[in-house]
Order: sequence, then structure tokens, then C-alpha cells
Amino acid sequence: MDGQLLSETFVELTDTMVADFDVIDFLHVLTSRSVELLNVSAAGLLLADPRGELRVVAASSEAARLLELFQLQSDEGPCLDCFRSGRPVTATDLSTEERWPRFADAAGQAGFAAVQALPMRLREQVIGALNLFRAAPGEFDAISVRVGQAMADVATIGLLHERSMRRSDILNEQLQTALNSRVIIEQAKGKLAERLGIDVNQAFTLLRDQARNHNQRLSDLARAFVDGTQPVTGPVSGARQRRPGAGRPRPGPPPVA
Amino acid sequence: MTEGRLGRIWRQVAEQAAGRSGQVSAGDVCAAVVPGVQVTGAWLSAARGAEAGHLMRVTNDVSERLAELQLTLGEGPSLDASASGNPALASDLADGEAGFRWPAFTPAAYAVGAAAVFAFPLAIGAIRAGVLGLYRDRAGPLSDFQLGDALVFADTATLLLLDAQERAATGPGGQPAGLALHRAEIDQATGMLTEQLGVSITDAFTRLRAYAYANDLRLADVARDIVGHRLRLPPDPDLSLGDEP
Repeated sequence: MDGQLLSETFVELTDTMVADFDVIDFLHVLTSRSVELLNVSAAGLLLADPRGELRVVAASSEAARLLELFQLQSDEGPCLDCFRSGRPVTATDLSTEERWPRFADAAGQAGFAAVQALPMRLREQVIGALNLFRAAPGEFDAISVRVGQAMADVATIGLLHERSMRRSDILNEQLQTALNSRVIIEQAKGKLAERLGIDVNQAFTLLRDQARNHNQRLSDLARAFVDGTQPVTGPVSGARQRRPGAGRPRPGPPPVA
Repeated sequence: MTEGRLGRIWRQVAEQAAGRSGQVSAGDVCAAVVPGVQVTGAWLSAARGAEAGHLMRVTNDVSERLAELQLTLGEGPSLDASASGNPALASDLADGEAGFRWPAFTPAAYAVGAAAVFAFPLAIGAIRAGVLGLYRDRAGPLSDFQLGDALVFADTATLLLLDAQERAATGPGGQPAGLALHRAEIDQATGMLTEQLGVSITDAFTRLRAYAYANDLRLADVARDIVGHRLRLPPDPDLSLGDEP
């Protein structure tokens, strides 16, 4: 495990009190860093909407996003079990999995053979779940699972801010902000895809890159683009983009969802 | 989201309309949310952008004062909710946090009798229709269940305001179409339609819903066809029929 990236990741995940904190960006960081650090192929994240449903808010790849959606639509899968029980759920070989037959099929088709779901919880409150997907079957390495759970815990505490009086207000504001930002980003993806004749995943990458290059929050850019007050241009060539405030450029692919 | 919650809340809103023998409107949401989530009062303002908008309905004098105070002072939870598109929740105006956020509004609101204030944007992503404000005369957060209900009341008000603005179709039984759904395809299709039709995001969403209603199709199915380039809606808003593949 890359020790420097690990420590930088924890700095990033605790850096939630800054003025320009963007909860969607934050959760994307969690899924991308999970892939970079934990020896997994993809990661996805579900959050509970107080309206009474789980929603996909971030994923490291389109395949992971679709698989999370599939769990919600078919109402079965490790992430749901993990959320409902508040406990980690592991499947080391999906080809022989009997708990979630439809999910196992869909995961196999998406190229995933093993999954580890980690709860995002603080004491009794479960706010969501982080799913780690691997292409090869087999046990998840124990250290990676512990680090993954620690990242999920730190992210949960970051969202909750853990300030007693305002905790529920802040958490609920943050959750709704995340869920609404997700909607705005989807609207912006649709508009940009149509404008440039590209698919929605390419559109997401362009939005994400432009936000990074301009040190702008992704959700702010998405909103301004949908409102017609800010253009989004085509791909920028040259050096890899950086997250604002990050210590150094990151390896690995940009998140897709 | 469970159909049970949607249906239950829709009935509470519809009862308000029946009580005054009128068509269901966003104002009925404002009246229904007060007993619905056990708050003392509510106000609802309509706006098409991030501005404060105009006050459509208040349930009592204190609600009206709270809405007015924010306009007078230029700060407060409703204005934050309008500007940001995110909820602003203050379950205890005396806890210091609220005073830090809204130094002028907080003591003024407390003085007129509010101890907790909750403002919900009436929004679907970048689509904005206004703000629903709630207050309590005693401090305390909305329970998780009440928060879930409040969000569904706000969703209902959003769709009713959009319908009132655009005279778009409503779904079966008068319940606004599209309430149950949080599907990425619907949001993506709405974004695509803004480009295809050259209209605002709000108008694009109205066109999408009107098309689904006029053709007796599910919103998610229409959205999926648009995203999959199997369906294009005609540019003329007076035509409700598209080019079926």
C-alpha cells in the first residue's frame, strides 16, 4: 500500500470543514482513493435518502455505478445487506454466490468476481455503504479491508461533523446537498452529452476535468452549465489535472460516475 | 421511496384542497405540512431562480413575519435555501450556530416566537421553483421520519408549482407525475432536452413530463428512450406527440 497516498487520503477525508467543501467531490475522492489504495477494481457508494430510499452518489467507474443501481432496482445485493445490518458483507466468489442470484449474475457480466461492502456508520446510525469490487475471486486482504473501513469511518464522521448540537441538522443538510448535487450533475451530463455528441460518461469526465482545472466545485460548475451561465469546453490536453488543494497529482483513472 | 409515504402525503395535501373546494395547489402543501410533520407554521414562496421569489402562502402570522424578516434583513434560512438549492436546518435558534449563520435574522426570529426553523428548497437539481419554510415554537430537530415526510412535501410542492407555471399535465388522480422517481436517466434526459429543444431546464422537465402523461407512458421509460436516442420530442411545445420509433 502506498503510504504517502494513504496519509494524504486521510488528510483529504478529514478536510471537510473548509469553506469550499463539496460533499459530492468528497465522496468521489473516497471511491477513487479506495481503488488506488485497496487493491480493488472499482468502488461505489450508496447514501440513505431520508425520503426512504438508498441512492447511488459516487462510483469510481460506470460499471460500478450501474451495479449499484442494479442492486437498488432489484432490491438485493451486498451493499443493501450491509446497509440494513450495519455490518460488513463479503462475497469472495460471486460465481457460486447464492444470497443474491440476480446481483451475482449482473456483477459477473460487469466483470466483477468478488465484492466487499463496508458500512458507513457512526454508533447506531448507518448513513450508507461503500462497495469494493474486484475482478478476481478470493479473500480480500485483511489490511485493505481495515483501511477501507477506516476510510469509510472517517468519511462518515466528516459528513456528520460530530458536533453534538447541530449534528443532525448538518448531516441532513449534507445528505440533501449530496443527493441534489447528484441530480444537477446528471442534468449537466445530459446537456453536455447532447451538445457535444458524446456519451454521458465522457461528459462527466469533461465536467470533472474542467472543475479541477478551474479549482471549481463540480456541483457549482454543473449548476452554472445547466443554468447557461458558464460554458464547458472540450477536453484539455497536457498534464494530468489535480484536485484543488491536493498535495500532488494522483495516479489512476478519473472517476466516471 | 415507498409508495405508501407518497400516497399518504398526497392524500394529506388533497384533503386541504378538498376542504376549500379547489384544485390542488402548492399552497395546499404549505397547509398540510404543518400537522403533517408537527411544526407550528409554514410559508411557501415561488421563484424560478436563486432569488427570494414571492410569498404564496403562510399558515399564520408568525410564518408571515419570518418570511418578511428575511426579505427585510437580507438573510435567513429561506434565502440560503434559495441561493444554494440546499436545505437550511436550524433546530435550535438559541444554540449559537444559528446566530453565527444569521446574526440579524436569528434574534429577530426568536423575538417573534420561532425556536427552530427549517427551510427546504423546492428544487430538482438545477430546476428551482421556490422554498418551503417551517418553524417550531419549541426547539428540536425534525425526527428522521418527519424529515423524510418534509422532503416529500417539498417534492410535491415543487411539482405543483412547476405545473402551475407551465400548465403541464398531472398524473393519474391529479397526483403530479414523476414524484416517485429519482432516476439518473430522468435527470440526464432533462439535460439533453434543454439542448434539443433550446429551452430552460425547467421547461425541458415540463416537456418530458407532459409527453409521458399525454402518451400514458412512465416517465422513466420515456427518459430512457431519450437517453438511448430512440426518441426525440418535437420542438413545438403545443404538440404532445413525439416521433415514436
